[in-house]
Amino acid sequence: MREQRRKDAVWQFLTYAFVVTMVVVMMVPLYWMLVAATLPQEQFLQFPPRLVPGTAFLDNFAALQERLDFVRTIRNSVLIAVIYTLLSLVLCSMAGFAFAKYEFKFKEPIFYAILATLVLPIQLLVIPLFLLMAQLDWTNTFRAIILPWAANPIGIFLMRQNMKSIPDALLESARMDGATEIQIFYRIALPTMRSSLAALAIILFLFQWDLFLYPLVILESADMYTIPIGLAQLTGFQRIYYDQIMVAATLAIVPMVVLFLLLQKQFVSGILAGSLKE
Amino acid sequence: MATSDETDDRVGQAYRRRLRGAVGRATRRSRRAARPLWDRFRFARQDLTAATPTLPRVAYIFIAPFFLLFSAFLAFPVFYTLYLSFFEYRGVGQGSLFWIDLGPLYLEIPQIAQLEFIGLGNYARLLSNELFWQSMFNTSYILVIQVPLMIGLALALALALNASFLRLKGVFRTAIALPVSANLVAYSTVFLLLFNEQLGFLNYALAGVGLGPVPWLTDAFWARNTIIAAVTWRWTGYNMIILLAGLQTIPQQLYEAAEIDGANRWEKFRYVTLPQLKPVFLFVIVLSTIGTFKLFAEPYVITGGGPTNSTITIVQYIYRQAFVNFNLGYASALTVVFVVIVSVFSVVQIKIGGED
Repeated sequence: MREQRRKDAVWQFLTYAFVVTMVVVMMVPLYWMLVAATLPQEQFLQFPPRLVPGTAFLDNFAALQERLDFVRTIRNSVLIAVIYTLLSLVLCSMAGFAFAKYEFKFKEPIFYAILATLVLPIQLLVIPLFLLMAQLDWTNTFRAIILPWAANPIGIFLMRQNMKSIPDALLESARMDGATEIQIFYRIALPTMRSSLAALAIILFLFQWDLFLYPLVILESADMYTIPIGLAQLTGFQRIYYDQIMVAATLAIVPMVVLFLLLQKQFVSGILAGSLKE
Repeated sequence: MATSDETDDRVGQAYRRRLRGAVGRATRRSRRAARPLWDRFRFARQDLTAATPTLPRVAYIFIAPFFLLFSAFLAFPVFYTLYLSFFEYRGVGQGSLFWIDLGPLYLEIPQIAQLEFIGLGNYARLLSNELFWQSMFNTSYILVIQVPLMIGLALALALALNASFLRLKGVFRTAIALPVSANLVAYSTVFLLLFNEQLGFLNYALAGVGLGPVPWLTDAFWARNTIIAAVTWRWTGYNMIILLAGLQTIPQQLYEAAEIDGANRWEKFRYVTLPQLKPVFLFVIVLSTIGTFKLFAEPYVITGGGPTNSTITIVQYIYRQAFVNFNLGYASALTVVFVVIVSVFSVVQIKIGGED
C-alpha cells in the first residue's frame, strides 16, 4: 500500500514536471519577443543578452513606423478581416438557411458541389485568382482579398448543420402571422443562431487574419499591406532590425492572445468545429 | 352576372391550365418563343406573382449571392487551374475571349491569359525536375519527424490535463493552447530571431550548458529541424485541444471496470484509452499531415527555403515558379499534383470525422 502511494507520488511529480516544462517551452518564444521589442537596439545586440524587458518599446515602435507605416498595416488587416467576416456571415447564413429549410431544384447537387470544395486546399486558387484579378484590374485592392472566400464552404456547411435544428413549427407559425420569408430569416432564424454565428465569426476572422500566400501575390504597395505581408517584407530587407520586427510581431500577436484569453470557449469550439469539417 | 374582371381571370386560368396541362414541353417552348418579347416578360411576371407557395423562388434569392461568388472565385478557378496545367503561359491576356452584343446588353469575357497548348508537357517536366523531388523530400522529412513528435506531445499533454489529480488545469491548458492564436508570419519572425545564430536565445542557452553554437539556419540538417521546432510549437496546443475533447468522451465506467480487473496505469492506457481514442487520434494525424503539405509561411520567413533548397516545401516551390519565374502553366501542373495529394488525405479525414 505504501509502495503504491510512493509510486503515485512519483508519477504525479513527473506529470507536473512535464506539464510545467511544456508551459515554459510555450512561453519562452513569446517572452523573448517581448524582451526584444522593449530593449533598445544597442542593449539587445550585447552578449550575453539581457533577459529582462526594457522600456524602449515606443522608441522601437517609432523607428518601425519610419520604415513601414505599421499603424496603417494594422488598420488594413482589421478592416479587411472585419468586412470579410460580416460579408461572409451574411452570405453563409442566408445560403445555409435555404439549404436547411427549403426544398428547391438542384438543391442536392449544388450543396454537394460546394461541399466537394472543402477537400481542396485554398492554395489551389492562388494562380487562377491572380490572373483573374489582373484581368479585372483588381490587383492591389482590398476587394480582391475580401471577395474570393466570402462564399466560404466551411461557413455554409456549419450554418446549414445548425439551422437544421430550428423547429419548422416556429417558422410555420411566423408564416401564418404573415411574416415574409426574409423577415422569418432575420427575425426568427438568425437570433437563435447567435452562438454558432459567434463561433463561425471567429473561424472566418482568423482565416482572413492569417491569410498569407494570396495577399502576398495580390497586394503590391506598402500602403495596402496586411500584417502578415508587412512582417514578411520587414524580414526581407538587406539589414534586419530585430527590435522593430519584434515590435511588429508583438503588435500582431498580443491582441490575438488577449482575444484568445477572453474568448477561449469560442476559440476552442471554433477549433473543434473547424477541425471536424475543415 | 359575370363582370369583365372575372371573365379575364377565367381566360387567364384557362390559358395557364392549357400551358401546364397536357401540352408537351417542346410545343410550349416554341409557342412562347413565338410571342412578342414584351408579352413574354408580362406573362413571366404574372406567373411570378400568381404562384402561391413562393418558397422555392425565395430559396434561390437566399443562395444567389453565395452561389455567384462561389462560382466566380471558387468553382471557376478550380477548373481553370486544371486547364492551365496543359498550357505554357505567354503573358497577360489581351482582348476578349467571347462577347455578345445585343444593343443595350453587352457581355464580354476577357481573355484571361495568352496560352500555348503543350499537352502533358508540364507534368513531364515536373516529374524530371530535381527541385520538385527535393521539395517532396523536404516535406516528407518534416512529415515523418514532426507529425509523430507533435502528436506524441499533444497526446501526453492531453492525458496529463485529463488526470484527476492535476490542479490548475485551466491555467495549464490555456498556456499550452496559447500559440494557437499566434499569426503564422508573426510567430515565424519570432522563431527567426530565437534561432538566430549570434543573437538567438537558443544558442545563448546552449552556450550556458557548454554546447557550441548550432547553425540553426545555415545548415541543411539543422534548418529542417528549426522548421520542425517552429511548427511543433505552433500546433501542439491545437492538437491537444482536439485530443482532450476526445478523451473526455470516453466513459468513466470503462476505467472503473478495468480497475476492478486489476489493470495498472499502462494497461488502462493500452486497452481502454487507445482503442477508444483511435478515431480522434487518426483524425489529428491526418489533419497534421495535410497541414505539413500546406507549409509555406514558416519556410518562407524563417529559412527562405534555404540553405540550398533544403527546406523548400511544395507550396513554396509552386509560389516561386508562379510568381518569381512566372511559369504559371508549370506552376498549375504542380498545383494539380499538390491538390491531388492533399485531397486524398482530406477525403480520409472527412471519412474519419464523419464516423462520430
